[in-house]
Amino acid sequence: MGEPSAQRVMRSGNANVRTLPTGRLRDRDAIGSSIAVREAVKAYGNFHAVDRISIDIEPGEFITLLGPSGSGKTTLLNLVAGFQSLDSGEILVDGKPVHNVPTHKRGFGMVFQSYALFPNMTVSQNVAFPLRMAGVDRATAERRVAETLEIMRLTEHATKSPSQMSGGQQQRVAIARAIVRKPKVVLMDEPLSALDRRLREQIQIEIRDLHQTIGSTILFVTHDQGEALTMSDRIAVLNAGKIVQIGRPLDIYRHPTDRFVASFVGESNLIEAEILQKRGSTLTMKNRAGYVFSAESRDTIDVGRATVLVRPERIAVSNEPAANSTPVSVTSAIFLGEILRIEAQMEGGDPLLIRCTDMADRPLPAVGDRLHVSWGAADCWVLA
Amino acid sequence: MTAASIGAQAGRPADLVLVRRLKDPALLLLPALAFLAFIYLLPLIDLIRISVSGPSWSTYFERVFAIPLYWDSLVRTMQISVTVAGLCLLFGYPTALLIHRSRGMTQALIATAIVLPYFIAILIRTYAWMVLLGRNGPVNKLLVSVGILSEPVQLLFNRGTVLLGMTAVLLPLMVLTIYSSVARLDQSLTRAALASGAGPIAAFWRVLLPLTLPGMGAGFLLVFVAAIGFFITPTLLGGPGDQMFAMHITQQADSVTSEGFLQALGVVLLTITLAVVAVAGRFLGFEFIWGGRKLTEAAPTTTNRYAADDGRRSFGASAADLIGWPLLRLFGRLPASFGTWTVRLMGGLVITVLILPIIVVMIISFSSASYLTFPPPGFSFRWYEQFFSDSNWMRAFWTSLVVAAMSAGIAIVLGASAALGIVRSSIRGKSTIMLLLVSPIIVPPVVLGLSLYSLFLRFDLVGSVFGLAAAHAIGGLPLVVVILSASLQGVDTRLEQAAAVHGASSLTVFRLVTLPAIMPGLAAATFFAFLHSFDELVLTLFLSSAELKTLPLMLWGDINYRLNPVLAVVSTLEVLLVVAGLVLARPVLATSRKAT
Repeated sequence: MGEPSAQRVMRSGNANVRTLPTGRLRDRDAIGSSIAVREAVKAYGNFHAVDRISIDIEPGEFITLLGPSGSGKTTLLNLVAGFQSLDSGEILVDGKPVHNVPTHKRGFGMVFQSYALFPNMTVSQNVAFPLRMAGVDRATAERRVAETLEIMRLTEHATKSPSQMSGGQQQRVAIARAIVRKPKVVLMDEPLSALDRRLREQIQIEIRDLHQTIGSTILFVTHDQGEALTMSDRIAVLNAGKIVQIGRPLDIYRHPTDRFVASFVGESNLIEAEILQKRGSTLTMKNRAGYVFSAESRDTIDVGRATVLVRPERIAVSNEPAANSTPVSVTSAIFLGEILRIEAQMEGGDPLLIRCTDMADRPLPAVGDRLHVSWGAADCWVLA
Repeated sequence: MTAASIGAQAGRPADLVLVRRLKDPALLLLPALAFLAFIYLLPLIDLIRISVSGPSWSTYFERVFAIPLYWDSLVRTMQISVTVAGLCLLFGYPTALLIHRSRGMTQALIATAIVLPYFIAILIRTYAWMVLLGRNGPVNKLLVSVGILSEPVQLLFNRGTVLLGMTAVLLPLMVLTIYSSVARLDQSLTRAALASGAGPIAAFWRVLLPLTLPGMGAGFLLVFVAAIGFFITPTLLGGPGDQMFAMHITQQADSVTSEGFLQALGVVLLTITLAVVAVAGRFLGFEFIWGGRKLTEAAPTTTNRYAADDGRRSFGASAADLIGWPLLRLFGRLPASFGTWTVRLMGGLVITVLILPIIVVMIISFSSASYLTFPPPGFSFRWYEQFFSDSNWMRAFWTSLVVAAMSAGIAIVLGASAALGIVRSSIRGKSTIMLLLVSPIIVPPVVLGLSLYSLFLRFDLVGSVFGLAAAHAIGGLPLVVVILSASLQGVDTRLEQAAAVHGASSLTVFRLVTLPAIMPGLAAATFFAFLHSFDELVLTLFLSSAELKTLPLMLWGDINYRLNPVLAVVSTLEVLLVVAGLVLARPVLATSRKAT
């Protein structure tokens, strides 16, 4: 334990030092720790909650573990936090193994789904708790608590008891408690899932801004793909105890490696098609409806069948047949505000989901209407 | 109002109101309340009336306080009770943590080790200690064989054994009370403290301990209140210098001349008990008696000791700065295993103290020796044969079964109806009624027995099976009401509405939806009411006759004048009965605990 982590922070000319919008905290060049997980395994009997996961997290990175429940994301977070111990493999923080370091000496900050505010302490006592445990003197602690409360816009609630506050306020207190020590690593375990949508979106932005300001490495766990896309530098998608794909939000969304990622992140059309011909990196394909389209291939597939991902918003829609379009019949159409969500059936019966922006010349289609859709090579992504 | 009801109202409004009144579930409370009024409140009021019936109202009380024997005994009772409650807290807390922190099979085993003794008669558990600590008991044997003693000594009949016995008897109550308050806590609170850099000890001291303080308070007071009225254990394990207050009442009860004075003794004991409970209820909410949860009130904005003190340093705050926090940080350096091992060692000790006597008694029941000695010289069934062939024992055994079955029947009928009334009606003063229904738990059995004795004399019920069963049902009723109201609250009323909407009459709804849902609770309640009566000794001492002897009464007589292995046989049978009941009730207990 001992010194607050801010005092241990390396001051380096690291290229990773961020340019900050507004430096509200003093240690502006504070950089988080790197975290490396190597071949981590955690099993309960025959069930492998975490199955040989390896991941390298850069200092100061905002990384999200995304996956359905039971995918192992929370177990992985608990392993990093030290609440559970590894069966095999190792976890390195700044290059040093941590398996023998108990949780309270790891110097992390953590935000819990249930807030986990100490009900027997006031807001400021809660926020001061990590500082007192680190042995920060009273004057410094008071100043730091006041600063942190101000950042989280909680100053006027300092003397309240947590039970007197709303869920959103409580979660901001929990965040304040997690960052008050300026930890090099902040762990967040589905911190927004207990909040309503509007509040969730607001705090998402607050957390992202906060990350820019404090520079800690943030390991964020969620099952909400929208949240992951909005907030992260990189996303690790987990399924059945393994990392399926890791990458920037844009890459995950546009170039998923398999069907699971394609359908878990965002809405998707997965179209089975036959490869007719390959010229260079361009494939010519035909689906069950007989629609012939071209797609860019990233690897060596050249014969047989493949699954093609076409995002619903990439599909061009018109009322009249156009060059290289295929007819579909509408099975449902929902007006969602700025967009229309249309479910349709291609010839041969395959369903197709379409999202298009609301436009003046586009009436809401009725069930049974015929539309003509098309997509280009750049709108397709061929899955292995 | 629907058209139909408007029509009916226009027709015969008076009838309708009457019908509606008769359908009010609050009426279901009446049988239980009438029962308690007659057999519980009336005798207690009568007891108080007799106690003030002297030349002046205070005559008998003045005598109680003027005689040093009683005053000393009262002080001693308080001392012993506080000590026992303190010991239970000291050892009970780590044990509750041990249950909470263990998982799976280990947890089930530890929990059983605590719960099992809780349901075994106090008399039998006290007897087990007499065996364990007796001259030929295993403890003496052990001390002699390792050379600490040169020959067996008298370990029994002193203050130490009274404290040990009472603590052992009351520990399960403490452990279960604290456990329920620990189990309610959000687990991530401890994790949050750890993640904030608090060592295990600091997390315990700053987070776990303050949050379980109400549970500790409830446990302490429950044990204290029970200890004040204790009678069996101090009588059997104590010496002449360890007389507790309740013992005087039973001793005086034999002499007819002390009418009035005797009642005054009872009233003093009752008053102290009720005063403690009243003060406790004021702070903890009366729900602590039956282990319910106090409705969480929004914590008042406490004067903030930290941020809001405007730079003014109170002495306490600086002391905390100088000593408290550094000390906590220092303890934080202790390896986590320190706390873990403290919990394991103390918890292990508690489990040993609770289980060992029972095991020793069970082994001795198979002894071939004609006197109590451990280890037994050989194995035989001779004491079982003697028990089952002795007509006195068998008659007492059947009497106990009949009384317990009747008593459980009374308690379950009255209690189930009362539970329905309290959960389903919308009358005011529910908490007061609940308090009344549950209050027999806290009245010292000696006082209850004394008050019932006069009532039974007047109605010529002494020695009647039915009278005894009804008296036992006074204590069984609260158990049934508590378990069943928890069960009923767990019933999803939307299911009942769904059944009603789809055409089920209210009786059908009850039969098809409500009854199956509370069935586990009903089974558990029946078992506990039965066991309560089967184990009951103190009321029976007052209310039985030479012809009507129950098993505990026979045991009591035998323990007092000869300690032989037949008692061990009875004890073993009782343990088997409880184990069988717990095994059957296990899934039930799990669900009813969730519902509470």
